[in-house]
Amino acid sequence: MSVKIEVIEGGIPHQKIMIGGLVSTLVCLYLTYLNVLTNTEMFAFFGGLAMITALIWGSHTIKVLCSYGIGTGVPSAGMIAFGSGVIAMLLATKFGMAAPIVALVLAAVIGFILGYISNNILNMKIPAMVQALTEMAVVGALSLMGFAALITGGFTFAGLTTGEVSMLGMTVSSNQISFIGGGLIAVAFLLGAIAIQHPFNACLGPGWKQDRMLMLTAECGFLSMIVAAFMSFALISAGSAIISLIIAILGWAYTYNQYICLSKRDAAAWLDAKPIPDMEGL
Amino acid sequence: MSAVAAKPQAGGAMNPTAMAVGVVMLLIILALCWYVSPGAGLMALVGVIIGGVLIGFGTHFVPVGGAPAAMGQAPGIATGVAMLAAGAGLAGLFGGAWAAEQGLVVATITGGVGGGLMMAITCMMVNFVYVFGMGIPAASGKVLYDPITGDSQKEFKSQGTEGHGLPFVSFVGGVIGGFLAGAGGTIIYLQLLSLYEATLPAVMGLPPAQVIPIAVAAAGMFAVGLFLVNAVLTAYNITGTIEGPHDPKFKRWPRAIVASAVASALCGFVAILIVAI
Repeated sequence: MSVKIEVIEGGIPHQKIMIGGLVSTLVCLYLTYLNVLTNTEMFAFFGGLAMITALIWGSHTIKVLCSYGIGTGVPSAGMIAFGSGVIAMLLATKFGMAAPIVALVLAAVIGFILGYISNNILNMKIPAMVQALTEMAVVGALSLMGFAALITGGFTFAGLTTGEVSMLGMTVSSNQISFIGGGLIAVAFLLGAIAIQHPFNACLGPGWKQDRMLMLTAECGFLSMIVAAFMSFALISAGSAIISLIIAILGWAYTYNQYICLSKRDAAAWLDAKPIPDMEGL
Repeated sequence: MSAVAAKPQAGGAMNPTAMAVGVVMLLIILALCWYVSPGAGLMALVGVIIGGVLIGFGTHFVPVGGAPAAMGQAPGIATGVAMLAAGAGLAGLFGGAWAAEQGLVVATITGGVGGGLMMAITCMMVNFVYVFGMGIPAASGKVLYDPITGDSQKEFKSQGTEGHGLPFVSFVGGVIGGFLAGAGGTIIYLQLLSLYEATLPAVMGLPPAQVIPIAVAAAGMFAVGLFLVNAVLTAYNITGTIEGPHDPKFKRWPRAIVASAVASALCGFVAILIVAI
């Protein structure tokens, strides 16, 4: 039995974050379905918001798991989250409208079995292991689905594998210009995996504060969303992509400012060292 | 948080009941796969399991030092198991993917060479930095004499450390581990690729030439996902740092074989379902 070596308590309890994260992720994912109902691509940005809420939930799960000192480094938790999540997400996209629910159930099953393997077969014996790996697989699957919805405007297998390319004024359907066929999924994979593991890795220690870490997660999420919004120019109309990009930049600017404020609040002292010095006489 | 001071007390003990449950789960998944897709699907799943087991076993050879190695207080490469295995395996996977058209044997060996080469370069540069940058010799803390060269280690080990740098046996272990992991990743990719190339045209109702980008990307993503799952599970088995094949922790490999087999079977089965239903 391993000993929980970090005794930082306080903040919102994990159950609340989990339920809130799960519900808001599913709601945001289904809000992208407005694209189909209104026959536009304007609501793709809800996919990005779904991704960010899932990441916030996931980074707190990583905190719960890694408080036990698993000895393998925090990044490994982010890698297994997305490694198991991508497998569940790709199969779930085949189920059309029900894809987010199927991804949730399938990822939970995969995560539960992986948790059993690590806790019992590999003898880790960490109390939070099974639940944490289950949650993490779900987070990985849902946030990848959020990336898919943000970049392509939908989350069905047909939508993720076909795209259109204009050639000499004609529009031709192509599988190369798509989320999966074009390999954009690999970029989304790492954007998410880095965003989920970085916050706890950066904020851990005796000065850990929940609101600061979660704000950093939101900041990392919006930063990933900016990149994904740029990629979405290739697959959805420019107007819709610009909406996503503006929301991502505004969100990033707000969360970055808030994170700096919270860091100053928690710091013992700080000195504005000005990385770019003011030039004299200019 | 001092994760270094308080390692989990997992130890090397085996859990026979859990191992038996794991083998039963493996058989159930194989039976399910046989039910869903008896021919090509089952063959692909067996290939995926072999690849996953190779990754899990190969990762045990890689000298992983973690944070203590970055301070020159433990032997190995100064990063985590998951990062190293992913680096070696993905380098191998990309190498093998280039040779995919040359057939299974050539592509697998190419993938293995890619992974081994990546680890050889990493190990050499790590020793370069240790010896010429930090000014510390390579010395193992787990054995008195290097099992391959027979060199004495004790005189070079600083007091208060577990050894430092990369002794010869760790270097060799790293190359073997990179070879096995790269070959395993390539096998997974090739199995899924040939399955998707054969079945996706019918599933999606498209000519074979058009589905190739989808088949390559989907097989690649599943291979990366499977790779990371296997690498992290092995990292959990090692719990932190390992010096190489001479380390006592190396004896834990049977647990990792069962774990990798079950995890690869589960994830591979999901990957096969995408074309089977």
